[in-house]
Amino acid sequence: MTNHLPVIIFLIPFLTAICMPMVGLKKRHWCRPMALAAVFAMCVAALVNFSLVLDHGESRYAFGGWSISTSLPAAPLGIEWVNDRLASTMLVALSFLASVCLIYGGPLLPQSLGKQVVHYYTLILLLISGLSGIVFAGDLFNVFVFLEVAALSAYALVGIPGGRALLVAVRYLILGTLGASFYLLGVVFFYAATGTLNMADLAQQMTDKPELMTSKAIIAGSTFMFIGLGIKMALFPLHGWLPGAYTRAPDAISPMLAGLMTKIALYSWVRIMFWVLGAGAEIGHVHLLTLLGILGAVAAVVGALLALSQQDVKRMFAYGGISHIGLILIGFSQGNQTGFAGAMFYLINDAFMQAGIFFIAGAAIYQHGARTVDELASLRGGSPWMIGALIILAMSMIGIPPTGGFFGKWQIILSAIEEGNYLAVGAVVVATLLTMAYFQRLFVRIFRDRPTSASAPRVETHLSIRVSVAVTSAAIIVLGLCSDPIIKFFRDVAASAGL
Amino acid sequence: MIEHIEAALHRPNFIAFVVLFLWGFFIMITHPNLVKKLIGMYLVQTSIIFLLVTVGAKKEATVPILQGSDATGSATHQIDPADYTNPLPQVLTLTAIVVQVATLGVSLALVTAIYQKYGSLDEDEILKRIE
Repeated sequence: MTNHLPVIIFLIPFLTAICMPMVGLKKRHWCRPMALAAVFAMCVAALVNFSLVLDHGESRYAFGGWSISTSLPAAPLGIEWVNDRLASTMLVALSFLASVCLIYGGPLLPQSLGKQVVHYYTLILLLISGLSGIVFAGDLFNVFVFLEVAALSAYALVGIPGGRALLVAVRYLILGTLGASFYLLGVVFFYAATGTLNMADLAQQMTDKPELMTSKAIIAGSTFMFIGLGIKMALFPLHGWLPGAYTRAPDAISPMLAGLMTKIALYSWVRIMFWVLGAGAEIGHVHLLTLLGILGAVAAVVGALLALSQQDVKRMFAYGGISHIGLILIGFSQGNQTGFAGAMFYLINDAFMQAGIFFIAGAAIYQHGARTVDELASLRGGSPWMIGALIILAMSMIGIPPTGGFFGKWQIILSAIEEGNYLAVGAVVVATLLTMAYFQRLFVRIFRDRPTSASAPRVETHLSIRVSVAVTSAAIIVLGLCSDPIIKFFRDVAASAGL
Repeated sequence: MIEHIEAALHRPNFIAFVVLFLWGFFIMITHPNLVKKLIGMYLVQTSIIFLLVTVGAKKEATVPILQGSDATGSATHQIDPADYTNPLPQVLTLTAIVVQVATLGVSLALVTAIYQKYGSLDEDEILKRIE
């Protein structure tokens, strides 16, 4: 039973998604409890899985028993799922965040949705199952399939409000599909060069035959894969789809997208980069990690700059997310344990920060109708708790001690100093200052300006909004306070990746 | 340079892939009409599937199914792997086609909703009507 746990975790949201239209079209009020039960069950299963992995070490799941021997690494005949420490940690974060997002989403759904609410829950559960598939996949092609499962549900979810959101959803779809196509092209090149798709087997071949790393097929393949996943993770020059999609997506969806979609794409690139290509990989005489460091530094600074110039609150936070992807890449690109641990810690922390900040942006629209920075002043009168949570999130985004954001950034800067990479240190510091600047704009509006409109909230704060905002803010502080063991844990993971 | 061109001419399937891919990419990026953008997207995906099939093709080889005396007397017969093609690229192709069809379905649904709302498929025209 326990060795089937990865598949069970995936099947919980997937089967619920399939049953949802069957039950939900008859009994609409069953949808939300069913979806919540599914994600809570997934949370519990993910925690059990995590403790099992900690106790018994990593395990591999061969689908349909397609492997010759049970010894590691499993034979590359069938589809393989890898259930190691990194994947199980990501899965705990994913399922926890997914359940918080689902708790939040309910009251914010537009009343006009009516019967369509069934489709919302079906799609969001499919999105969660697609993401958990990406986390487990130990096979390049399997990653592609799950990327598309998650992305297709995301396109449909973005288009829910109709009107302008439809156009944004089509743009997201076109760019996202282009990214997936590039990724698939990279996979084809890898397959043509090595005859395998299994990540462990690929890594074995790379070490056995060093000439593969300089072959044109692998160089082209990894470039295409990186461009494809770069579009999915909204790395700076490829970020075009993200601000529009996050701004126009319904408020119930954007926390989920902001918190999870880009981070999971980044996670799958990390898997390919460290577990397939190896940390010392060179692409056509360019050291891969150096290249990523430069791309990350540019993304961190430019993303924060663009965020500073936005009026729309959701759009501002969306650009902030682009800047964080850059920061995380800087951490990974240092190629030492500190950098890997810091980046991985920041990635999980950032998933909570982004979700939390979009919770607040959505709640501000729901309660006060405040979409722009200027309108946020109305938040002061009505929602003191919301502002408290916003302050905690802002502290974490800027990087002020007891919050998780500080420790992640601290480790990233430490690793860059360790490598003597002062460009990266500078980029992190500049991005931090710019982040401070755009939160300064928000807080000046909230605390100094007189509220122009009536300050009483239009709608009572819904309990589920309060719970989800409180849980994310608390999670960020807890992550910060427990940062030491978590970072130690990720250092061990980095050591297993050969850093 | 010459030998590169010559090597490419020996593999006309790769040239066909490059032409199809760039053609689709060009339509996708430049055309303002949403349905034509989707056609470009379809071309890009199809070209990659085409590449996958052509990489897996093998001359004078057959499907990896043992027939007749081979199947029963495999212990006595030597089976030469070179006589059979690897079925995996075809399997991947099938999966990729399924993904492609699903993407096309979602995208056409979105474009239909846009057309019903704004009465146009031209992106610039739609943006004008939204204003």
